[in-house]
Amino acid sequence: MRVYLEIGKRAFQRELVYRTKNLAGLFTNACFGYLRAVPLLAAFEARGDIAGYNLQDALTWNWTVQALIMVVGLWGGWEVADTIRSGDVVSDLSKPFSFLGFWLARDYGRAIYYLLFRALPVVLIGQLLFGLRWPHHAITWAALAVSLALAVSIGFAFRFMLNLAAFWTTDARGVGGLGLIASTFLSGFLIPLAFFPDWLRPVVQALPFAGIVQTPADVFLERVTGWALMGALGQQALWAALLLGAAQGLVVIATRRVVVQGG
Amino acid sequence: MPLREYWRLYWRLVGASARGQMQYKASFLLATAGVFAANLFDFGALLVLYHRIPHLAGWSLGEVALLWGMSAVSFALADTIASGFDLVPAMIRQGDFDRLLTRPLGAFFQTIAARLTLRRLGRIGQGLVILAVAQGEVAIPWTPGKLAVLMVALAAGAAIFFSVYILGAAYAFWTVEGTEVVNTFTYGGTTMTSYPLDIFHGWLRRFVTFIFPLAFVNYYPALYLLERPDPLGLPAWAGWLSPLVATLCCVVAAWGWSFGVRHYQSTGS
Amino acid sequence: MTAGTPDAGHGGPLGRPAPGPAGGPAVYVQDLCKSFRVFRHRPGALGAVRSLVDRSSHEVRAVDGVSFTIQRGEMVGCVGPNGAGKSTTIKMLTGILHPSAGRVEVLGLSPQRRRKEVARHIGVVFGQRTQLWWDLPLIESLDLLRYVYRVPEATFERNLATFRQLLDLDLFLSTPVRQLSLGQRMRGDLAAALLHDPEILYLDEPTIGLDVVAKHRIRDFLRRINRERGVTVLLTTHDMADVEQLCSRLLIIDQGKVLYDGGLAEIRDRLGRERTLVVDLAEDGGALEGPLSVPHACEVRADGPRRWLRFSRDDTTAADLITAVASRYRLRDLTIEEPEIEAIVRRIYEAGLDSSSPAGSQGSTIE
Repeated sequence: MRVYLEIGKRAFQRELVYRTKNLAGLFTNACFGYLRAVPLLAAFEARGDIAGYNLQDALTWNWTVQALIMVVGLWGGWEVADTIRSGDVVSDLSKPFSFLGFWLARDYGRAIYYLLFRALPVVLIGQLLFGLRWPHHAITWAALAVSLALAVSIGFAFRFMLNLAAFWTTDARGVGGLGLIASTFLSGFLIPLAFFPDWLRPVVQALPFAGIVQTPADVFLERVTGWALMGALGQQALWAALLLGAAQGLVVIATRRVVVQGG
Repeated sequence: MPLREYWRLYWRLVGASARGQMQYKASFLLATAGVFAANLFDFGALLVLYHRIPHLAGWSLGEVALLWGMSAVSFALADTIASGFDLVPAMIRQGDFDRLLTRPLGAFFQTIAARLTLRRLGRIGQGLVILAVAQGEVAIPWTPGKLAVLMVALAAGAAIFFSVYILGAAYAFWTVEGTEVVNTFTYGGTTMTSYPLDIFHGWLRRFVTFIFPLAFVNYYPALYLLERPDPLGLPAWAGWLSPLVATLCCVVAAWGWSFGVRHYQSTGS
Repeated sequence: MTAGTPDAGHGGPLGRPAPGPAGGPAVYVQDLCKSFRVFRHRPGALGAVRSLVDRSSHEVRAVDGVSFTIQRGEMVGCVGPNGAGKSTTIKMLTGILHPSAGRVEVLGLSPQRRRKEVARHIGVVFGQRTQLWWDLPLIESLDLLRYVYRVPEATFERNLATFRQLLDLDLFLSTPVRQLSLGQRMRGDLAAALLHDPEILYLDEPTIGLDVVAKHRIRDFLRRINRERGVTVLLTTHDMADVEQLCSRLLIIDQGKVLYDGGLAEIRDRLGRERTLVVDLAEDGGALEGPLSVPHACEVRADGPRRWLRFSRDDTTAADLITAVASRYRLRDLTIEEPEIEAIVRRIYEAGLDSSSPAGSQGSTIE
């Protein structure tokens, strides 16, 4: 366990180096947070309530999803695929810790960095510009922490599997890009999943992608409380376990493949 | 060198880059599908929103779709032609821009001839389809003048986005850090132009009318087509101004580019 | 110090390039300077914000008052440690960079103001990067460059035939450049840089990373195009063997300044006054313990019966020393090692030209 903590810490520290890059990203998030908030203002002028959201809820959702982009890695990251293509993966696979665990630990280190230095400032900017809805119950913060941790796991496991495609194809980025585009839409990043037509909503809400963005946002908005909250977190946990398990399975298959090629 | 020879050389160089890209056919197809899907979802989100509301600041779905389509066609045109400028930050970082400057051709010409991304043509098709459906939806009473405004606006919009690309690339001559900020202007620009500008605050609307004139990509031409008055008070013929504004943008971009090239500090010792 | 125009090599397979656009020397550089602004990075998150607003910077002088002239047909080697300003100088000679101060003229023209015109008359090869289209076969790159440089059809055909033969390009002419070995790629790059019959060829580290055979082949080719076509060559390198085998003139640059500009023989004569006498002692002369003792020389290395004796030409001559050694010890064999230019140059970087204790040959090996 100590080794994973150490790996996570290193990943966190590595991000600290790219301060200018983070500031540029923060500027981008703030701009898009604003640009995407304005149509919501107009939309709620026409109707006071959309699918159970009032204007403040919608604005809070808008800034939360902007804040989460980097935390849950919505735009991806191709380091794993790069090590597979370069062949460095062979030495990583033979290290005395889990390959999946290594990258998961790194991703948590990265996520914590972006939670502190990206998500927090983005939400504060949203608060300054529009005034957001903040949780009314202290317990929500605890639930949010759990939900975020699970969201990072789901986002990671999905991205990790897209990266592993590099074992089979030279176009992992192309395949992955398609996957990410789909997940962006289905995660509730472009539009809240509650806005979807009634016949489509149950489907998109049951998919794992909902757990990457929409569920943490719902928890923060206290749209799910009590048993519903438990259910939402349970669904996230289930998907996190399933996807991480699937990712581990893929690692095993891929490792066998590497060994065969190497022999 | 006579213009005709430049033209032929352009196609030769662009053809070479296309043949290079074709070495990775699967990547090309996947990227094409990716661009297509991304725009489909983008428009899908708009549909989902309109499924819940009757109008947006008095603009119907058909009217907003008209804006969306115009913006998509213009942006995709610019994106296809100017995608060589996307390579500039990487070329500068890796020192490959040096190579351009050792050849007896202008850096601008070589950059634009470095790539023609056909994968974005899918977006032009999407934009055109949505444009066609949208104009039927809002039942524009077409006149030759309106048709001309539309055609000119699509080209002028492309030129305006094109200038943004060039200025963004020129920015990289000073620093290759924070090229993300440049994307804010290109992609932020498409986001803004996908909505009626009346919804934005006055200062931003003035900014995109008089300083960073995205309003002339589609908003003013669309107001003319829809015969809607401008909340900022510009007369109806503002819809005809797009080519003038686009020319101004190109002049500024050309100046910024050549200033940047002179400022270029090659990497390495 | 100029080497003048070398033999024209009449009757060689290579034609001479057309005369340049203007008269004068190939390259003329006077008090050339180039400074870069380097921005300070502040620590901490607040520092990053402050850096965006207040970008305090300091100047770094990469090239600091460089002057030299290269006559047409010369072949000049330019050496110096990393960051000495060699590449920056070459980039100003091609018009890539604009000088902060001073004058540059290439074939009588300013490479900055008339970059495109100058580009027609020069060829450039960067050893670390290729000029070729990465994903296309070599022949397609050459074909594209023909249009970029507007090379007449006959010239193109003639040059291509020549380079195919001299550089043995046929083996990989239709291979995508990214699949070429470093040596093959360099041969392709040389052909690409010379297709348009340039009068001047700049080479930045042309032999970097190549094996001995590939280096030999490149040097051979460069020698030929210089001799037979009269192409002026300016090359930077870290490999002194390049300079020794190709150039009659050496430029040593360090910290943006020219430390030495002159003949290779002169620098050897001036600074390389130390020689090493290597002797093999006859084994049957009894096992010798301890260093040899000979006047005016000291033993600097021993390996069984083989001993290295360093001496200075100021103190004794080789003949006297050999006599002295032979009178004391039984010798089986002997050789004299010349001072290696690499060691001399290294000494100049470290101590400057006026170093009172010149470099010897000891301990330096090339390749």
